Amino acid sequence: MLASSVERSKPTPYPSKARSALVRRTILVVLVLAALALVTVSFRSPTAGALHDLQGAGASALRPFQIAATRVAAPFRDAYDYLDSLARAKAQNAELKRVNAELRRDVLISAARAAKYPELLRLLHFEQGPSFPHGYRVVNASVITFPAGPFAHRLTIDAGSSSGIRVDSPVVSGDGLVGLVTDVSPETATVMLLTDPQSAVAARDLRHGVRGVIQVGPGGTLVLNDVPKQQVVQAGDVIVTDGTRNPRYPDLYPYGIPIGRVAAVGATDTATFLQVQVQPFVSFGSLDAVGVLVPKHRR
Amino acid sequence: MVGRAAPREDARGVSVGDGVKAAVLLFVAAIAQVSVFAQLHVFGAVPDVLLVTLVAVCLLRGSIAGALGGFFAGLLVDTASLGTLGLTSLVLTLAGYWIGRYGETTGRERAHAPFLSVAVVTVLYQLGLLVVHFVLGESAPAGAVLRSLAPAIVLNLILTAPLYAITRRLLKTATRGELSTEVQLLG
Repeated sequence: MLASSVERSKPTPYPSKARSALVRRTILVVLVLAALALVTVSFRSPTAGALHDLQGAGASALRPFQIAATRVAAPFRDAYDYLDSLARAKAQNAELKRVNAELRRDVLISAARAAKYPELLRLLHFEQGPSFPHGYRVVNASVITFPAGPFAHRLTIDAGSSSGIRVDSPVVSGDGLVGLVTDVSPETATVMLLTDPQSAVAARDLRHGVRGVIQVGPGGTLVLNDVPKQQVVQAGDVIVTDGTRNPRYPDLYPYGIPIGRVAAVGATDTATFLQVQVQPFVSFGSLDAVGVLVPKHRR
Repeated sequence: MVGRAAPREDARGVSVGDGVKAAVLLFVAAIAQVSVFAQLHVFGAVPDVLLVTLVAVCLLRGSIAGALGGFFAGLLVDTASLGTLGLTSLVLTLAGYWIGRYGETTGRERAHAPFLSVAVVTVLYQLGLLVVHFVLGESAPAGAVLRSLAPAIVLNLILTAPLYAITRRLLKTATRGELSTEVQLLG
């Protein structure tokens, strides 16, 4: 379409047009050169000089306008921020829920670890304490299966023959004697607890030196058997392992591992032996970490 | 397309009242840009109310007004933001002149001219600043600038319609004869 509807004007003489173009281009060149000059001076002395002072003065003069603009815009910006935060709230909510779930899980893990801490500390104290038997080193292990019910008296630990554990290795906790290893595989071992009917541990009363055998009695309690009636045993006495009495028949347990405290002593006219009930130091129902005593030198 | 000589070239020019209005408009836009809009980051881009206003002034008032407006508006920005003086001036002067020429010639009376100008100038302005910063050895993150180009164009296009309407209301549309023209493209 040709410019039929465009208002036609008188033709403009060439010299005027040329002059206009000249003026226009001159202004452009002058402005560009001025800008380049400003850039050069400003760049060469960015922190000093008359231009810098001038810029500082200019910035100070503009400051009130900037503050005014900021104040005028503040409500709008607040509204924008509010809408923006609303828009982000959903995504943030999902993210926070995820983080919260992670933190809850971490708290549970931390709490579970913290719950084991006192037991581990007691075990450490025992291993580093004076009552720890000579000639043994300890293999620390976690309990991975627990006694399944009132008739089960064995548990499984997560260390086995690859750690040096052998059958008949004594097992302790931070509180005292736990039992004896009855079966080993390379990475696990089965521990027979003192409460097992097959368990029998040579023991002695520390205060009176009375010897006997710790076995499980009626009702699942521990009793110190084979103590003649003439011997003196009193409630509150501490019972420890007796260790080897005759070097020809070495005992499975080293001397001095705490077993429990005498809870009650009874005697009947017809019985030959005292009835000594022992309250074990170890709580067999809540064992988490145990130590297996392994001889430093193989016998 | 038919090229045609422009009429009444001598009558071209911006009146003093218009000049004052344009200056005030650009001043307000520059202050708003450095104080308010520079802090708005939308998808990594900053809406440039000054550039859009300058484009509107250039399209309505021609290349000389555009170059002068760009120079002084840039100077304001550099002064207020305590940046390298003349840097923004240089780029805005060239942008103002080029858009002014486009308005004087091809772009006049076309409804899409402001939008086209804003889109193109947004790209050229960003790239121009990038080049100048690079030449001066200052930080010139090309990747970030290129990534923000598309959102910047969109943001500026959104601003174009209202700002162009305001500017045109303030500066009465110059008659064709008031603009420096040598060529008019039709169609």
